[in-house]
Amino acid sequence: MKDRLLSFVDGLREAGLGITVAEALDAMHVVGVTGVELEAFREGLAAALVKDEADRPAFDAVFERFFAAPGRGRGRGERPRLSDEGQGRGSRRAQSAPAFSEQRRHKEEPTPPRPAQFGTERRKREHGEERGRKLARVRALLNLPFEQMSPPDVEACEALMAELAQRFRAHLSRRRCASRRGTVDIRRTLRRSISTGGVPIDPAFRHRRPGQPDLVAFCDLSHSVATASKFLLALLTPASAYFRRVRLFGYVDRAVEVSVEAGMVVPHDQLDLYARSDFGKVLVGFCQVFGPLLTRNTLVLILGDARNNRRPPRADLLGRIRGAVRQVIWLNPESAVRWNTGDSAMAVYQRHCDAVLAASNVRELYAALQRVFRAAVR
Amino acid sequence: MIHGEITPELVRQGLQRARYLTTPRVETVLYLALVLEKPLLIEGPAGAGKTEIGKVMAATLKTDLVRLQCYEGLDEAKALYEWNYQKQLLRVQADRAQDLSWDEVTQHIFSREYLLERPLLRAVTTGHKVVLLIDEVDKADEEFEAFLLEVLSEFQVSIPEIGTIRAQHRPAVVLTSNRAREISEALKRRCLYLYLDFPGLDIEREIIRLKIPELGERLRDQVARFVNGLRKLDLRKAPSIAETLDWARALRALGIKELDVAAVRQTLNLVLKHEEDLRKAESKLSTMLATSTR
Repeated sequence: MKDRLLSFVDGLREAGLGITVAEALDAMHVVGVTGVELEAFREGLAAALVKDEADRPAFDAVFERFFAAPGRGRGRGERPRLSDEGQGRGSRRAQSAPAFSEQRRHKEEPTPPRPAQFGTERRKREHGEERGRKLARVRALLNLPFEQMSPPDVEACEALMAELAQRFRAHLSRRRCASRRGTVDIRRTLRRSISTGGVPIDPAFRHRRPGQPDLVAFCDLSHSVATASKFLLALLTPASAYFRRVRLFGYVDRAVEVSVEAGMVVPHDQLDLYARSDFGKVLVGFCQVFGPLLTRNTLVLILGDARNNRRPPRADLLGRIRGAVRQVIWLNPESAVRWNTGDSAMAVYQRHCDAVLAASNVRELYAALQRVFRAAVR
Repeated sequence: MIHGEITPELVRQGLQRARYLTTPRVETVLYLALVLEKPLLIEGPAGAGKTEIGKVMAATLKTDLVRLQCYEGLDEAKALYEWNYQKQLLRVQADRAQDLSWDEVTQHIFSREYLLERPLLRAVTTGHKVVLLIDEVDKADEEFEAFLLEVLSEFQVSIPEIGTIRAQHRPAVVLTSNRAREISEALKRRCLYLYLDFPGLDIEREIIRLKIPELGERLRDQVARFVNGLRKLDLRKAPSIAETLDWARALRALGIKELDVAAVRQTLNLVLKHEEDLRKAESKLSTMLATSTR
């Protein structure tokens, strides 16, 4: 049985589930308890090995292959009701009904798995598979690199985005009602103690005062990274209440203010989306017009692949911006291995950023935003 | 509290006694979590009965439930222990009058008497096996999760001033998550995993029967079917089981014997609480009623 389980775990690993040695051991313990009554066996193994419902369809497929050979066990159970009558199957079902308790006694024997449930159970599993597939699809979408997204993928992602944006907003709002910290505020405690004759009866605690930064975001709208920009704007727009001032800019070879209306990115001024992107020129233009916008309390967020078409990057201007503001964060929608290859000037800009974070798929983008604002809104 | 071996039968009876209807899958996993003494991580949509499992588990083991509700910004002081500053200060004042030495004073004020036990510490120090429910663990910060990991693997708490307190009885641990964010792999690895979905038509019908026996059979069936249909729509918030029950109670209170368009319109806001969900459902009302009142 042990070997069989180990090869089953291997099968799962091949199917893409990351299973650790500790979890495989858990599975052994589980089987020691459940015995091999099919349903308990399956659910027990799933509980120990599947830690994300999105992996459940893959698990079920491998399980079928290993433990339910056709013609035996579950194979027969799959034909509901047909052979159910007149074959004494009823008594058999009654036998397996008390589940794993009686099986425990002779768990050592490799008894063939018996069909346990019919009809409704089967239906339920199908319902479950559908749900598992849905979750698997969502997970795949979250992990799909932006540049590989097809138009239907983008559409599906947009639906997810609404939910993520809501979550993001909830995240920021929870940050704001921060709990008091456990440390005593000595100064205030002493002042309070004056009213009780110098005896500090009522200690004062330190409170966290969340900051409310200004936000200036630059999003590259040229074709290569437009999808990522769109999603970033979709996440930022609903969250604008948590900043003092929000200015969203889109750029290709110059920066214009943009807003999101009904899911579409709308530039407020003319912007040639097919121009060659040139962040250096964007910086020059921005500093001339919007320089006064930047304060010590500003958080500058830049989303772009830093591919300047080999034009002067003007990183010195970014350095000057950094000197004026609180933080400059760069989100790069390319996977990190491709930074600084070809015409990417990431390293040049990186020197003037407080952080450069990878945002090559929705999951990374969301995680990066959470990280940025966790620090900023605190 | 229950002594002796835990059997599947016991779990099933416990669930029955707590009037918690569920699938064999849930029974199996609950049993395993209790026997293997592993924490159980439950994920699933809001309102499918995740938190309830913790309560039912406590009822099954006939023991206390210690609940830790997670939220962002939850820290060790709120989860584990905190010194009772007020009491310590008073003690210092009192001791000063008696001219005690420094050592004596510190010994006084850092003892169990001045410790405020928070849920995690309480679960460890209680003299018998308790059920520790860590609710909505996805709401807590990642740092807190890492800290939780430490407690869950050892079930011991070290307090610098007192020493290490080890649990005499490992608590049974249930963690729930709404997937507001991904739980770390490390935590998942240490837990058994259960995805708790809405229970499906048959079981939901039974739940209504169990909780509201006065409801007519026909209406019960219609309510269950209708709510099941609602969950298949793409809603912002699918109706929970508790909401189904509220709705059924309301229908009974209004003396409605059978679902029809008027009755549903009048009461739908009990199950759907978003304006757009309501609109979506109302646009499909007649077809949904046709399938559920067959």
